[in-house]
Amino acid sequence: MNRRMRSLHRSMGALVALFVMMLAITGMLLNHTSELKLDQRYLTWNWLLEHYGVATVEADAVFLLDQKVISQFDKQVFVDAQPATQVQRPIIGGVVLDDLMIVATDDALILLSPEGEFIERMGSATGIPSQIQNIGLFHGDPVIQTRDGMWRSDFLLEQWEKISLSGISWSSPQPMPDIVETDLAEYFHGKGITVERFILDLHNGHILDRFGVWFLDAFAVLIILLSLTGLWMWGRQLR
Amino acid sequence: MRSIVAVTLLMIAFSVSARGIYQTDEAFLAETFNNDVPKSQVVWIKGDLRKSISDILGHNYAGLRIRYWHKDGRKAWVLEEIGKVEPITFGIVSAKDKVEKVKVLAFRESRGGEIRYPAFTQQFDDAKLNGNELDRHIDGISGATLSVRAMTAVVTLALYLDKFTSQ
Repeated sequence: MNRRMRSLHRSMGALVALFVMMLAITGMLLNHTSELKLDQRYLTWNWLLEHYGVATVEADAVFLLDQKVISQFDKQVFVDAQPATQVQRPIIGGVVLDDLMIVATDDALILLSPEGEFIERMGSATGIPSQIQNIGLFHGDPVIQTRDGMWRSDFLLEQWEKISLSGISWSSPQPMPDIVETDLAEYFHGKGITVERFILDLHNGHILDRFGVWFLDAFAVLIILLSLTGLWMWGRQLR
Repeated sequence: MRSIVAVTLLMIAFSVSARGIYQTDEAFLAETFNNDVPKSQVVWIKGDLRKSISDILGHNYAGLRIRYWHKDGRKAWVLEEIGKVEPITFGIVSAKDKVEKVKVLAFRESRGGEIRYPAFTQQFDDAKLNGNELDRHIDGISGATLSVRAMTAVVTLALYLDKFTSQ
């Protein structure tokens, strides 16, 4: 019995030693956060950032207009990583016309400057055909496809004539370029996760989310068992 | 208990019903100009005008130009302003430096929809500019403070733009 208890005590001791070392090291590091500037350093490992859910962002729609990336997150429209305007409807496409970027929703055209500044929203009150399904260019003129047919205008976008054409270069969704995604991730999540936060999460088990609490509970039970088996063996030696 | 549930449902129903498009921009213009809507014009927001508009709204105007419709001395403006978090769309008709009509065309907030009632909007009838402010006090509505503030700012802006485009 005594031999079996010693064996159990040794196994539990080895296991607990690993966690105690981890707690001791992370605890010491946290004690010196300021000196080590842990609160000013940020994680750069992608797999870890993905674990925290701050590595990527998922746009509802992305269109590339000239050198600019137009994306939509809920109601917010971004030009590259800068917020430009808000829209009530999903973006369905965009074209570049002279010195204008034109972004279409199903009920309006959103005009943006080449720098990405919001100029104006043109809806049906300004003569824009309703129920827009796509936008494109035909020999430099803007063309929109609506449920009611195809319409062409000029750079003023005020007069639209119904047409039937082929060979139109229609706008289509594109994947988000990595560099803009990184900038947008920083816009939404800040610089990311500090090393201090990471070490703190290791220390308190939050790195494993809700499982971390149970993990630390199991560790505490192990320490209690280690203490009990140690006391039991000490008691046996005294007899 | 039943009465609490009934009152709660009533409140939810009221707050939901406040949201909606009450009149399209097109219908507002058609009504204003008796179905003979003039070609729209634009005013570019730059320089001193941008600064004045910022002073009126209390923040920078989100756009580089504002569109309006002008016929026989009457001008129609379709302007948006944030109430609390969502934009409210207003239709305003100005004539001879005075407000002729104010309407809420679309309301997207959960509270404050009472500003659309004529009993409230008629306070703006014949309102004029006194400096960069309205020439009168607009009575507020309990629970709709931000919507009232948005409407007052937008009406002031329309009158200011009316004056600016008449110069």
